[in-house]
Amino acid sequence: MTIDAVIKKTNAHYCLECGICTGSCPISRINPKYSPRLFVEKSLLISEEELIRDDDLWTCLTCGACSARCPSLVDYNDFMFQMRQLAIEIDNRGVCTHAGTIQAVSALQTKKFVKKDLSWIPKELKTKQKGDVLFFVGCTPYYQIIFDNIKADSLNASKSTIKILNKFGIEPVVSQDERCCGHDSYWTGELEKFKTLAKSNLEMIKNSGAKQVIFSCAEGYSTFKTLYPQFFGKLKFDVLHISQFIAEKLDSEEITFNEANEKITFHDPCRLGRFEKEFDAPRKVLSVIPGLEILEMERNRENGMCCGSSTWMNCTQVNKKIQVDRLKEAEKTGASTLVTACPKCKIHLNCTMNDNGFDFKIKIKDLATLVAEAI
Amino acid sequence: MLDVGRHPNVNILAYSEVESLKGDIGNFTATVRKKARYVDEDICNACGDCLVKCPVKKIPDDFDMGLKNRKAVYQYFSQGIPAVMTIDPDNCIYLKKGKCGVCKTKCVKGAIDYEQKDKILELDVGAVIVATGLDVFDPTPLTQYGYGKMKNVITGLEYERLINATGPTGGNLLRPSDGEMAHKVAYVQCVGSRDFNYCNYCSSVCCMYAIKDAMLGREHEPDSESYIFHTDFRNVGKWFQKYEIRGKEEYGINYIRGRVADITEDENQNPILWYEDTETREVKSLNVEMAVLSTAAMAAKGSSELAKKLGVNLSEHGFVAAGLPYPSDTNVPGIFACGFCIGPADIPESVAQASAAANRAAEVVFLGEKKKTA
Repeated sequence: MTIDAVIKKTNAHYCLECGICTGSCPISRINPKYSPRLFVEKSLLISEEELIRDDDLWTCLTCGACSARCPSLVDYNDFMFQMRQLAIEIDNRGVCTHAGTIQAVSALQTKKFVKKDLSWIPKELKTKQKGDVLFFVGCTPYYQIIFDNIKADSLNASKSTIKILNKFGIEPVVSQDERCCGHDSYWTGELEKFKTLAKSNLEMIKNSGAKQVIFSCAEGYSTFKTLYPQFFGKLKFDVLHISQFIAEKLDSEEITFNEANEKITFHDPCRLGRFEKEFDAPRKVLSVIPGLEILEMERNRENGMCCGSSTWMNCTQVNKKIQVDRLKEAEKTGASTLVTACPKCKIHLNCTMNDNGFDFKIKIKDLATLVAEAI
Repeated sequence: MLDVGRHPNVNILAYSEVESLKGDIGNFTATVRKKARYVDEDICNACGDCLVKCPVKKIPDDFDMGLKNRKAVYQYFSQGIPAVMTIDPDNCIYLKKGKCGVCKTKCVKGAIDYEQKDKILELDVGAVIVATGLDVFDPTPLTQYGYGKMKNVITGLEYERLINATGPTGGNLLRPSDGEMAHKVAYVQCVGSRDFNYCNYCSSVCCMYAIKDAMLGREHEPDSESYIFHTDFRNVGKWFQKYEIRGKEEYGINYIRGRVADITEDENQNPILWYEDTETREVKSLNVEMAVLSTAAMAAKGSSELAKKLGVNLSEHGFVAAGLPYPSDTNVPGIFACGFCIGPADIPESVAQASAAANRAAEVVFLGEKKKTA
C-alpha cells in the first residue's frame, strides 16, 4: 500500500489537528517528543521515504487510546501497522526486547514444526485431542521459562483455564499442533509471517473439530476475533475469552464459588477492552465471587491505561514510567491485588515490580487464576 | 417575548402539543392538545402563594438543570409567558391520591382547578412555522470527561444557571462539590461537536458562549482565572472576532488550542485537565476548580415525531430539512421552519430566519399565493 492509500484508508486526511490523540497517548505524557498528532501530520507533509525511516514508528504501543477518542475516526493503529509494513521493507525495525528470544520463538513456528510439548498440563486436569471446545493456550509455556526470573508464572493462567473448563464439565482440546497466534508479527508489520501462522492455526482447529475456541489471553482472542476474519473470511467457529465464557455460563448455570476475601482492581487489557469492547464480562465474573471487592482505578474501561509495552519491542525508561504510574494508580485504590486478563500485562507489570528501587505491595493475578482458586 | 405576549393578534398556546395536521397550504387544520395545568390561566397571576406550602419538594427543576429542586406546583421559569403556575400531575399528591389540596386553600384567587382536563383545540391555519429549537448533547458517553461522576465537571447550560441571578446559587459561581466559589475555571470546547462518533457538525454557538461565560465569570470574580480549550475558534459573524480578542486582552482569558484528552480529579475534587497544547507541542495537565463542558447542540427531542405529524423531511442529523427554494421552506408547501430546528444557528441568524419564515407565511395567509410557495 502506498502512503497515499494508507492516508485515505485510515482517515488520516480527516485530522483536525486537535491534539486529543497526543493528549491521550501514554507515551506522549512522558516523552513529549513522540506525538501521534505530529506523526499523522508528518505523513501529510513529508515524503514516504523520509517517513518510513522514522524511529517513532516503533514507539507506538498500539494501545488504541488515541483512536478511541479521535473525533475524525483516524485509525492510528492501522496507520502504524501499514507504516510498519513499509518500514520493514527498508529494514527499519524496532529494538527487540529480551534479546529477540520471543520473536525467534514466533519465527520458528512459521517453519516445519515439531509438535508442542503438553507435559505442563497437570495429570488431574482433563484434556483431549478432538472435541467441540478447544483451548488455545498461546505463548504461556514459553513465557513460563523466559520470565522465570520475574516469577510471572504465566502458565498458571493456562492451567487455571483448563481447571475452570473441567469444572463446567468440559474437556477441552489442547492441540500439539497449535502455533503462535501471530499477534506480534501482525503489529510489527510482518504480514506474511502472520498469515502463515494464522493458516496453520485455522487448519489445526479444523482438524480438531472444535466449534468453540477459548482463550485466556486477550491478544490471542482479539487476533482471532478481528484479524483472522480480515484475511481468511468468517471463522467457522466461535471465539471466546475465558471471562466471556464464564460470564455466559453464569447466566444459565448455578455455580458456587468459595469465599475470596480480597480487595482487587481490574486492569483492562487494551486488546480485550478498547479493541474488542469487552469491559463487562471480566467485571461480571469477578463480581460473583463472594468476598471479592472490586475497586476501580481512576482510568478504567475505555479510558484504561496500557500496561506500558507491546510486541516485545522498544522497552525504555518511558515504558517503565507508564508501568510505575499504573501500579501506583492500582495501589491508590486500596486493592491488594491487580487482576488482569492478559499474560503480557501480567509480565510487563511484574517486570517493573521486580525492578530495584520500587516497593510495591500489590500482587498481580490473572483473572483465570483468581477464578480457579475460588472453585 | 413580552411584546408577543401582549400583542392583540398573537395567541400563545404554551404547554401544548400538536397532535396532527391535516389539509394543505392556505387551509390547514391543526389539532392541538392544550395540556391541563390544573390552574386557571385567566385567574392566576403567579403570585406564588400556592407553592409556599406544597409538601412535594424534591423534584429536580428542569429549567435550573436539576441544580435546584422545585415543588409539585411550579412556574417553569420566572420570565415565562404566560406567567402562570402549573401543577405537575406526575408528582402532585392530590392528583395522584386525592389527598392534600394545600395549594387550593392557599390560593386566595381560587385559580387552582384539580378537575381541569386537557383541551383539544382545532385550529384553522393558513401556514405553519416550525421553530422547535435545540436540545443539548448529554456528555455522559464521553467517559473521559467524567461528567456525572465528578461533581465539578458541569455543562455550559448548568454554568449559565449557576451564574444567573435567578439561578440556584443567586448568581454566585459556587462549585457543586462543596459550595465554594470557583476561582479557576476551564471551558472545554467541542464536547460531542465536530466529532464523527457523536455530532459530526459544528454546533456554531459554543465558541461565543464560552467566551461570554468566561467574561461573566471574570466580571463576578475579577481575580479569577479562566481557560478556554478549543479545537479552533469558529467565531463567524460581525464583530465576533473582535469579541474574542476582547476576551483575551480585556478579560485576560487564556485561550489554549487543543482538545482536552481527559479529566481526572485530585483529592479536593478539583478537576485536572490533560491536554496537548498544540501550539507549544507539549502534553500538560492543569488543575482547575471547575470545568465547564461546551456540549454539542442537537435537534430538539421529539422533533422527529413532530416531523412525522407534519410530513416534513428531516436532514441527516435530525434537523428539519429546509432551504429550497427559499431558506425557510420545507418540503411541505405552507410549512416553514426557522432557527436551530433547521441547523446550528446563533441568535442573529435565528432572528433573520424567523423574519424570513414569517414573511413566507404572510404571503400564504394574506396574498393566498399558493403558486408562489408551492
